Amino acid sequence: MKLRRIHVCSASYMHLAITCLFVSSLMAQDSTEAPSRIHFSKEILPILSDACFQCHGPDAKARKADLRLDKESSALGSRDTSSPVIIPGKAHLSTLIQRLVTEDADEKMPPPELGRPLNASQIDLLRQWINQGAKWGKHWSLNPVVRPLPPRHDVHPVDAFIEHELKREGLQAQASADRRTLIRRLALDLTGLPPRSSELNAILSNQTESWWDEAIDRYLASPAYGERMAWHWLDAARYADSNGYQGDRERTMWPWRDWVVDAFNRNLPWDTFTLWQLAGDLLPAPTHEQRLATGFCRNYMINGEGGRIAEENRVDYVIDMTETMGTVWLGATLNCARCHDHKYDPFTQKEYYQLFDFFNQTPVTGGGGDPQTAPILAVPSPDQAKAIADAFAESQSARKNLEKMMVEHAPAIHAWEIQRRKALSDPMAQDVKEADKENLNTLREALFKPTEERSKTQTEIILKAYITSDPPLAEARQYSKNNKERLQRLRAVVPKVMVMQDQENRRPTPMLERGLYHRKGTEVTAAIPASMPALQTSDRIPNRLDLARWLISPDHPLTARVTVNRFWQQLFGTGLVKTAEDFGIQGEFPRHLELLDWLSYEFITSGWNVKKLLKTIMTSQAYQRLSTTTEALIEVDPENRLYARATRYRLPSWVIRDQALSAAGLLDSTLGGPPVNGYQPDGVWEDATFGNKKYRRDKGRKLYRRSLYTFWRRIIAPTLFFDTANRQTCNVDHKRTNSPLHALTTLNDTTFVEAARGLATRAMQETSTQEAILHRVYEYILARAPFSQEVEVWLKSLSRAREHFETRPEATEAWLSHGEGLWPSDLDSIELAAWSTVCLGILNMDETLNRE
Amino acid sequence: MKPSLPQSLESGLRVNRRHFFGRGSTGIGVAALASLMERKGLLSGTGPGMKDARMAALPSLPHHPAKAKRIIYLFQNGAPTHVDLFDHKPGILPLHGKPVPESYFKGKRFSTMTGDPSGKLILSPVEPFKQHGQSGAWVSRFLPHTAKIADELCFVKSMHTDAVNHAPAISFFLSGAQIPGRPTLGAWLTYGLGVESDNLPGFVVMTSVSKGTTCGQIFYDFYWGSGFLPTRYQGVKFRGNGSPVLYLEDPAGMSAALKRGLVDDIGAINRLKHARMGDPEIETRIAQYEMAYRMQTSVPELTDLSEEPEHVLDLYGPQVREQGTFAYNCLMARRLIERGTRYVQVMHAGWDQHNSLTTELYTQCKDTDQPSAGLVMDLKQRGLLEDTLVVWGGEFGRTPFIQGDINNRPKWGRDHHPYAFTVWMAGGGVQPGLSYGASDELAMNAVENPVHVHDLQATLLHQLGIDHTQLTYKFQGRYYRLTDVHGHVVNDLLS
Repeated sequence: MKLRRIHVCSASYMHLAITCLFVSSLMAQDSTEAPSRIHFSKEILPILSDACFQCHGPDAKARKADLRLDKESSALGSRDTSSPVIIPGKAHLSTLIQRLVTEDADEKMPPPELGRPLNASQIDLLRQWINQGAKWGKHWSLNPVVRPLPPRHDVHPVDAFIEHELKREGLQAQASADRRTLIRRLALDLTGLPPRSSELNAILSNQTESWWDEAIDRYLASPAYGERMAWHWLDAARYADSNGYQGDRERTMWPWRDWVVDAFNRNLPWDTFTLWQLAGDLLPAPTHEQRLATGFCRNYMINGEGGRIAEENRVDYVIDMTETMGTVWLGATLNCARCHDHKYDPFTQKEYYQLFDFFNQTPVTGGGGDPQTAPILAVPSPDQAKAIADAFAESQSARKNLEKMMVEHAPAIHAWEIQRRKALSDPMAQDVKEADKENLNTLREALFKPTEERSKTQTEIILKAYITSDPPLAEARQYSKNNKERLQRLRAVVPKVMVMQDQENRRPTPMLERGLYHRKGTEVTAAIPASMPALQTSDRIPNRLDLARWLISPDHPLTARVTVNRFWQQLFGTGLVKTAEDFGIQGEFPRHLELLDWLSYEFITSGWNVKKLLKTIMTSQAYQRLSTTTEALIEVDPENRLYARATRYRLPSWVIRDQALSAAGLLDSTLGGPPVNGYQPDGVWEDATFGNKKYRRDKGRKLYRRSLYTFWRRIIAPTLFFDTANRQTCNVDHKRTNSPLHALTTLNDTTFVEAARGLATRAMQETSTQEAILHRVYEYILARAPFSQEVEVWLKSLSRAREHFETRPEATEAWLSHGEGLWPSDLDSIELAAWSTVCLGILNMDETLNRE
Repeated sequence: MKPSLPQSLESGLRVNRRHFFGRGSTGIGVAALASLMERKGLLSGTGPGMKDARMAALPSLPHHPAKAKRIIYLFQNGAPTHVDLFDHKPGILPLHGKPVPESYFKGKRFSTMTGDPSGKLILSPVEPFKQHGQSGAWVSRFLPHTAKIADELCFVKSMHTDAVNHAPAISFFLSGAQIPGRPTLGAWLTYGLGVESDNLPGFVVMTSVSKGTTCGQIFYDFYWGSGFLPTRYQGVKFRGNGSPVLYLEDPAGMSAALKRGLVDDIGAINRLKHARMGDPEIETRIAQYEMAYRMQTSVPELTDLSEEPEHVLDLYGPQVREQGTFAYNCLMARRLIERGTRYVQVMHAGWDQHNSLTTELYTQCKDTDQPSAGLVMDLKQRGLLEDTLVVWGGEFGRTPFIQGDINNRPKWGRDHHPYAFTVWMAGGGVQPGLSYGASDELAMNAVENPVHVHDLQATLLHQLGIDHTQLTYKFQGRYYRLTDVHGHVVNDLLS
């Protein structure tokens, strides 16, 4: 009985129910409250969905007994055959409850063979809900975003929402983190780089109250901000530098990638960012940039495998574009509806193909494996654009000059013709090489034909022969030809980005049975699923532009929520909705729904201002807390979903690399451009492709570019990175695993060994005592000074390393020779080798690998 | 009152709590909790610091007593021709050169290279067949070593699949879905059953291809991916040249002793950190650095063949010492499972005989026949075959009709064929000396006891003590499993 009460009070949080077994204080607290009203979308819908929808849900084909529990009318309304399964206010009379509790195995629901029985507390919840009147509702994420009132007005609204929940759980929030921790957290979160010493000191010496605001602004304004933000967008957009599949040909989508960085840096409003990427090409008189943005859609893999059916490929591409849109903007697992009606969410298979139809209108046929399959957009660099413009002008002028000369020569041509005819009639004149005979015959044939009867080719032959006979003219022609070719060469090397375009004639969209391209069913046209806000286009069939505008309309329930959640995920390690990819019924119900809605509302009304949103979140206390964990916090909230502490999590592997390069003073911060190939063990590509793809490591500064610019080969991703999205299909969640292979990478890879030497060099050049050097290294990488116990460990480590190198000159030489960089000769090599070893250790500290 | 727990239990609780909450478990008793911690070695007093880097098994597993503890899957990429290797059909011979009767292919889909099979000519097997051993299993002259151990093998001659192109078909075999993104067999096994080795991965993949082959197939990493399971369950690919694991070797200048010291120092610093922060993930990190250090010695030990006697090496054939060959990988598979690896996926490409039945197929067989048979014999003589399941087969079969010109023998080929093909298994509780199921008279369609890919998957899991319908993972709102919503254990195959 006692247990049941708990479930009533903290009902949806099953884990809390479990925790209550251990935490008796909570039981006492909860038992004093009266049973609260049960929330349908939060507490009932997930149970029905999990246990019942497979046979009594949206999927018409799988439906049993003609009963739907996803629809109020079917569950509560009058059914023809029998009484409704739910009788509001009367749980004991409701068939639903009876079937859940019966001991009769034939009657029991859910069928025992499903292996997913409901537990007593879940049944109890259903009973309570029915007794409370069985009030039906909509799944939360489909309800409009309304601005909730923060529970308090004297604190930051984000904190007001969070504190409210913390209070309910009786949890004590952690204090604010110290400034240094905060600055490192801020720099890593917004730029993916550790704070530079100059930045650190500037921020630390800011004594004003607005120091934190100013610090945030400083990093939001950094060009590195766009690079940091772009990474996750590239994951979602499945960006890569090759096609994927067999052959894996190289593509040139990187100007689109640079556009993304730039868009973040100039804070392009999210609605525009969305609109351009999904449908920039369909805007009236689209600009180059608006067309370039649509490269987003075209980042899908291209299958050039021999024997593949073109249409099958094409369908795959359209599926990919549709489902990517679904995940990124709707948080919808549309893929479930590809083969049948969605089992849980209100998407029918028909509605899937209606969405599919929006993307089904490009002229792409699916044939071949061209990594620059039209429609494409040439994106020259400024230098290239200038060179092309110059070459074009020159080529035009050369051609005009030639034409002018030809006009001048017109009378002479006639005379020449007569003279040639005469010459060619003379048998003595035919003393030519065998090889030229044929040409001569063709010329003769042309010359002896009356002018008006000559074919176009024949006229050209005569002109050509005439020009050859006149050196100045021949030279002018050659010059014109050279210029034309130069222009072609220049244009050929300009990167071409695959972009969107709809073909003139509508391509019909049949529903595809089981998603198979050749199993065509009823034809459908573009439309929005019925469960979502309507899209009005009067009589016209809507197109991608309508779809994009619909997504960014201020009353859309999903776009803002799904987007805000991803930004929250970037800052707190996990989204307010943990299932960033699924806002459907099987996704997580947000513990902080009101906070999510408040932020979403603010986001929309701010004009979809991303920087402002980030700043709003980052100015909250919740963001600025210590990430220190206590027993109580782990007990009640192991995953930190209540934000009593800041989340501590391992940095993405690409940030770990960039951080090391930056701290070592090696980072090349050039923005944009073609991808680069950094350090990678020999033979990795060759091994994976039977030698078809040869890895050519870049040299010099390119080795130290930010990870964002690393060439991403789809069939064999850069080996240095781990836990990254595969860049094959859309990915919006963040993987974090903890494997020995990661340790091997950061301990043994050239990048890190070289960065360790860079760190040591930098610190040794700036200062001299052991303690001072260690302090510097800690500051570069961790923005703090070492604790005395740490100093002790590392100085012991230093002397061990020194001993090792003292007696081993070859080892010293080898240890200092990793990577392309050179070490300064004025530093003692044994000392540098020893410090490099310590620095490698520091680069591998858990704190270094974590954002905390 | 909160029950007071010993220190080591406390720390186990922290790690494990996330573990089971993440799995959406509907409730957990103290008993289950204790069992979880036992698995982690926390009750047996391995002390603080979570030295044990191993991955624990799910508490619900095994579902039933396992017949096999591990699997070696000898995957033959490209689809070996069942018509020429295993599926003896006397009915084909008189039809050689004659068009394939329509009744055999009506309504079926072939690759674009074949298109419509109307008028395609039946092609007899290139080499003759003979029955072998007590069991009288049919094996062609292409595979003399396999023929010799026929009595150890269980041939499934009625396999069929849904896919007609390589990558989707291989993905289908290994992950249960044609489109990449689902966990593969090895990932499911390590997720479900955990990892037994302290210093080697639980799921290892090795790949090879015959020299001089014209095959351009690629080993995609989704063939051993963990899909939506955490990435620690994905296969670790051992490379075919140089160091088998990337970044395994100490950079030049570093010594083992210096590295030992450095890893200890990192550990010491991390323990200080843990004391300050209380984050249990730090303990895992300490353990993983320890494992990384140990792998740096255990992997070289694994690949050091100096202790292998000549007569054992000879079992695997002449290429066994050459890293990157199928023979070498077969030997390595044995050495891995001896050291606790749960699942080894040895993949050999080049079986795609579109126009090379009379040429490259010979090399293909020569490179794989003896090592495959050698591995089975080696496992047997060590007593490992009993609880090790070896599987041999490709992603589909090849057409009984010709691809190419029947008058141009050097270019004879066969196209992709999903409707009937052969897979063999050995050890691990499957019946030795059994030929199960059959295709029709032309080896065209599986007609007697057809075995679908999902059935084979269900059977493999069954042998490891897993009910394929119960090993599930919730992702994007749906419970996924290796066999999707299909598959039946083929009990007739089991001894």
